[in-house]
Amino acid sequence: MQRPDLATPSPSTLRSLAARATSRTSLDRAVARLDALELQVLDSVLVLGDQPSAPAAPRAPVTIDRLLTALATEPADAPLVRAAVAHLLEGALLWDRGTSDSSDPSAATDLAVAPGLSEVLGPYPAGLGPADPSSPLDHAPSGPSPVDAATALEALLTDAPPGARSILDALTWGPPVGVAPRADPVGREAATWLLRHRLLLASDERHVVLPREVALALRGGRTHASTAAHPPQPDAPHFAEDTITAEAARAAQDAVRLVAHLLALWQASPPSVLRAGGLGVRDLRRLATTLEVDEPTAAFVAELALATGLVVDDGEDPPSFTVTLAGEDWLDLPLASRWAALAAAWAASGRTPWTIGSRDERGTLRAALEPDLSRPWVPRLRFDLLSALADRPGQALGPADLLEVLRWGSPRATPPAQAVEGLVREAALLGVTGVGALAPTGRALLLPVPDGAVSAPETALVHALESVLPPEVDELLVQGDLTGIVPGRPSGALERLLEDAADVESRGAAITVRFTPESLTRAFDAGRSAEDLLTELAAHSRTPLPQPLDYLVRDTARRHGRLRVGTASSYVRAEDPALLTGLVEDPALRHLALFRVAPTVLAALVPAATLQAALRDRGLASMVEGPDGRVVRTERVRSTVRSRVGGRRPLDTATRGRSAVVPGTAARDVAALDTTARRERYAELVPRLRAADDAALAAPPASASREAAPPVPRGTTEPPAALGLLRDAIDAGDHVVLETIDPTGQPTRRRVKPLVLEGGRLRALDPARDAELTVAVHRIAGVFTDVPAPTVVQDDTSDVASTDASAGAPND
Amino acid sequence: MADGPLIVQSDKSLLLEVDHPLSGDARRAIAPFAELERAPEHVHTYRLTPLGLWNARAAGHDAEQVVNVLLQYSRYPVPHALLVDVAETMSRYGRLQLVAHPTHGLVLQATDKAVLAEVLKSKRTAGLVGERLGDDSVVVHPSERGHLKQVLLKLGWPAEDLAGYVDGEKHPIDLSPTDPAHEDKPWAMRPYQQQAVDGFWHGGSGVVVLPCGAGKTIVGAGAMAKSGTTTLILVTNTVSARQWRDELVRRTTLTEDEIGEYSGARKEIKPVTIATYQVLTTKRKGVYTHLELLDARDWGLVVYDEVHLLPAPIFRMTADLQARRRLGLTATLVREDGREDEVFSLIGPKRYDAPWKDIEAQGYIAPADCVEVRLTLPDRDRMAYATAEPEDKYRLAATAPGKNRVVEQIAAAHPDDQVLVIGQYLDQLEELGEHLDAPVITGATTVRERQRLFEAFRSGEINRLVVSKVANFSIDLPEASVAIQVSGSFGSRQEEAQRLGRIMRPKQDGRTAHFYAVVSRDTVDQDFAAHRQRFLAEQGYAYRIVDAEDLDVVQ
Repeated sequence: MQRPDLATPSPSTLRSLAARATSRTSLDRAVARLDALELQVLDSVLVLGDQPSAPAAPRAPVTIDRLLTALATEPADAPLVRAAVAHLLEGALLWDRGTSDSSDPSAATDLAVAPGLSEVLGPYPAGLGPADPSSPLDHAPSGPSPVDAATALEALLTDAPPGARSILDALTWGPPVGVAPRADPVGREAATWLLRHRLLLASDERHVVLPREVALALRGGRTHASTAAHPPQPDAPHFAEDTITAEAARAAQDAVRLVAHLLALWQASPPSVLRAGGLGVRDLRRLATTLEVDEPTAAFVAELALATGLVVDDGEDPPSFTVTLAGEDWLDLPLASRWAALAAAWAASGRTPWTIGSRDERGTLRAALEPDLSRPWVPRLRFDLLSALADRPGQALGPADLLEVLRWGSPRATPPAQAVEGLVREAALLGVTGVGALAPTGRALLLPVPDGAVSAPETALVHALESVLPPEVDELLVQGDLTGIVPGRPSGALERLLEDAADVESRGAAITVRFTPESLTRAFDAGRSAEDLLTELAAHSRTPLPQPLDYLVRDTARRHGRLRVGTASSYVRAEDPALLTGLVEDPALRHLALFRVAPTVLAALVPAATLQAALRDRGLASMVEGPDGRVVRTERVRSTVRSRVGGRRPLDTATRGRSAVVPGTAARDVAALDTTARRERYAELVPRLRAADDAALAAPPASASREAAPPVPRGTTEPPAALGLLRDAIDAGDHVVLETIDPTGQPTRRRVKPLVLEGGRLRALDPARDAELTVAVHRIAGVFTDVPAPTVVQDDTSDVASTDASAGAPND
Repeated sequence: MADGPLIVQSDKSLLLEVDHPLSGDARRAIAPFAELERAPEHVHTYRLTPLGLWNARAAGHDAEQVVNVLLQYSRYPVPHALLVDVAETMSRYGRLQLVAHPTHGLVLQATDKAVLAEVLKSKRTAGLVGERLGDDSVVVHPSERGHLKQVLLKLGWPAEDLAGYVDGEKHPIDLSPTDPAHEDKPWAMRPYQQQAVDGFWHGGSGVVVLPCGAGKTIVGAGAMAKSGTTTLILVTNTVSARQWRDELVRRTTLTEDEIGEYSGARKEIKPVTIATYQVLTTKRKGVYTHLELLDARDWGLVVYDEVHLLPAPIFRMTADLQARRRLGLTATLVREDGREDEVFSLIGPKRYDAPWKDIEAQGYIAPADCVEVRLTLPDRDRMAYATAEPEDKYRLAATAPGKNRVVEQIAAAHPDDQVLVIGQYLDQLEELGEHLDAPVITGATTVRERQRLFEAFRSGEINRLVVSKVANFSIDLPEASVAIQVSGSFGSRQEEAQRLGRIMRPKQDGRTAHFYAVVSRDTVDQDFAAHRQRFLAEQGYAYRIVDAEDLDVVQ
């Protein structure tokens, strides 16, 4: 039970079980979970059970009584020591070598540590140095009387030079190793004397060590100065229960509000997910600003929402954090249920938000919501922390106090201070603690989870929060200065109303809001009418609504929606409303989705050209007008667009230059020329591209560009083919013509001898300049087989001859 | 307390429920350390500020008392962090002390050496202090006393000023027991006036905030009587200076000969001298020519009237006057330039403040009915407004011609009242003057003419008066009971309050005063009006809004 690792996977034989139980790894794991008292017992048993230094002396059995003496246990604490022994026996960390029935620990006659444990416990158990077989003190820990040894030591020390005693005192309770004094003559003399009398041993040139016998004699035969039977009791302030619950309730409400706010924000504009899977720093900062909290708090809120499953990385392209369906449902839950969901998720979460903003081993910034922020030990540490708080009701332990307590609980595995601080902060933010002490809400988190009942812990949490929340208030005090005050925690309905219709000015035990035209506009946007709003406000107000508020609501409603915005792509305008009515009613024009905007204006959801064409088809001649209302000729519309696309725009100057009688003629000419030239080029290009394509299909890829190259190399070689050519050239030591794109985007050609092609770079020799150059492969636009002479045509034959492939790539 | 009247918010605001039976007790208990921010009808908002807490420390309250008061009256548990913060803030006060050293003169002394080291390291204290006297004190140049205090306040380590005040030149002043203006009937200060004087005197220096018409002059007179020294009174303008003189003659044993006027017109220095801000800030060749007035006598008391208008140069001059008692008087300590803090640190903390509605409830100021009349502009004007340049929009909206008719209508509805029409733009006022057949007073009107017209208005000889902003402050027109505001200086909150103040003198027949603001609908005029009304709305004066078309229905 205590050491689950022993059973996974199931050992085949008991021998293997035993071997596993005494293996270093298993023992390390087991020891890491022991508390300070259990470790003391192990240390003590280890020391007591050692063979006496004098080989002849009999080894006394290690009994509980000897153990209690060695630990200097107060009589009252003896049961705790016994319990620790029992626990260790059960975990097979202590063995009873005696004959008695081992089921009763106090009857153990000869305790011993499990084999292999002494290595795990380190070289100086209980801060005691190594045993010295030739110690002048003929004393073994098992010897009959520790008093004898002490007396003997005293006798020896009478002759000691000054300073010797203080050296011994310094080393008595460990660690037993000290630096040998050198500079100080008194100290040096004392040390030399002690070494001479074997009261100290030289461990190396500079260090001395106190032998175990001497230390035990100095300690009066005990192994520990006192028993660490109880966890430390930090001196932290105590708080009244209602202060704690009030603070916790406030924090819980805030946490729920912040998460809800986050969901609302991310519903409106989901932040994108970083490539590494986190939330960008800028998005986090924006979140913090909107929530009016600092960034660590904002990060925690986001993590909480993620842990609860209210937001998720949607995995789309590009990915963003979106609110889940569960998140939307969560928003509709009552306050206590919302909080319970958050708290339950938090308790089980292994996230470490406190590391956000720090840098990992690779030096990259840890982002909020990053997938690898989870650590498996976090829930356990959280449980330990809350338990430590639960053991000290009403006491506000700070992170330092908690760390001290946890250190007693598992001295061999102290949690990182940063994690403790982080969790304490989170607990406060979530309202699990209040003023630093555990609140009823936190106690509910510690309740054991009944098997099979999934919702049970949440129910307990709901009840816990409900028990600490102040009563709901359904009343709003509305005042003439357009402010309102809810003297307490607003009920759900009231809260929603105020959220819609007012701006919160101050939050706390009560809420102060202000009604402004902007806030009321928000309410109207959300679909409330002035009458609704006034009725609802009046229902919550004890006194009649002040006249200024009434007026403000109506006045804002009057102005609300005076400007209307819609979507249309084109419009039809006519002086004759009857004509337009005909168009709207015309079934043949239904596909235009014409609708009436004003008596003389129709809007359509199709582009102007389509609209005009459709009208023409119906026999209705229309004219196209520009934004200034002037008629434009249809051709001009087209050419204007084209010339703009072409990037050459003599249009404006040309139009201005000519009279307005024939607007756009010059432009049209220019554009037409432009179009003609382009059309020719396209005509030429298309078959060439087709041919190149065919050639590529027919011929082996490597030779594709050789075919395309001579006599006038055209087109761009396919990258794989180009690389192939380069490799060939490198192998053969040939020259090639390399077309590269320079930084300005201009292609340049040069004849080079490729040398090496690796790592996305080509190293080549330029024989013309007798220089080496390195080109990034992505800058290579084409590679052509060597064309030594400046006249390209001459090389045609040689080139063809040099290649076998004769797919006959046609050039037109 | 489970059901206390106070709700303590974590943002350091305190909400006081007015209708609660214990609200009065709670209000008195929190008044020493919390600033009243808003006083509308149901819930008053106070705020805990470092300044307020330090003032409380200066007045002898400690953090424990403050915390106890909060715990005692709070309905819900008080946020723990707030209590910690209160204790922490209050413990910062007094670590530094300004004391008069027998040999070194003025010395800044620290009970906490680290604090002294910290403030001396700051760049802002450079030049304000002299030689170090050991590691816990430093010499302060006497002339920099005010400046240093201000800097220390900003650094968050306010100094306790134990150096005391100069006594000033003695001059016997007493309140006269009878009121010559009221057939020599005996009179006494009203309770709140007495409290204000006591609060001021106990604190040494500071500001007293009382509503318009609540008798701030009498508080000044009371302070002078208490001081019994020569006094310098700084006022906004000459008319106001004359009113002060008349009031002092009426209320104290001072005679006309003992009171001097130091203004553009006259330059007299008497045991009690009334000077205008304007004359003090007059510069000639870059030098303040009348600065010597401040040192002309060994003044024992300096009174600042309408301290919310204190011009910036006076701030600097006042910094040098820290050894003299200073009394600031105002109705509306909101400065549009946001320099309230400087008023507090240079003249002194707020020593007395009363919500307007409280004084009204005691019957010392007239109840007022505030109405905003919204005028829908005709389409022609709306078009002109829509196409106007942004900087002309307010003027265009505020001087809309339709307002004339509205003013006439309102004036007609109050045939027997003394009606004051107040505006910003002179041509608009001239036009209104013609419409109503009423005299117009503007900045161009001579002082003599102004006084004649005001006197005629007071006596009831004329009952319609059109005035520009010259009448914003300090003009005492007891029987004016209707004010119609047609335009103002944009969104000035204190102007609105001061204008309302013109009609708040209690009327002999206990009539309600009426304040109308005529506003053009859907224009910047309306936005500015909303801002202007904020101070009064927060004092509990809820504006009714009436459409101009419905005016006759209302009356």
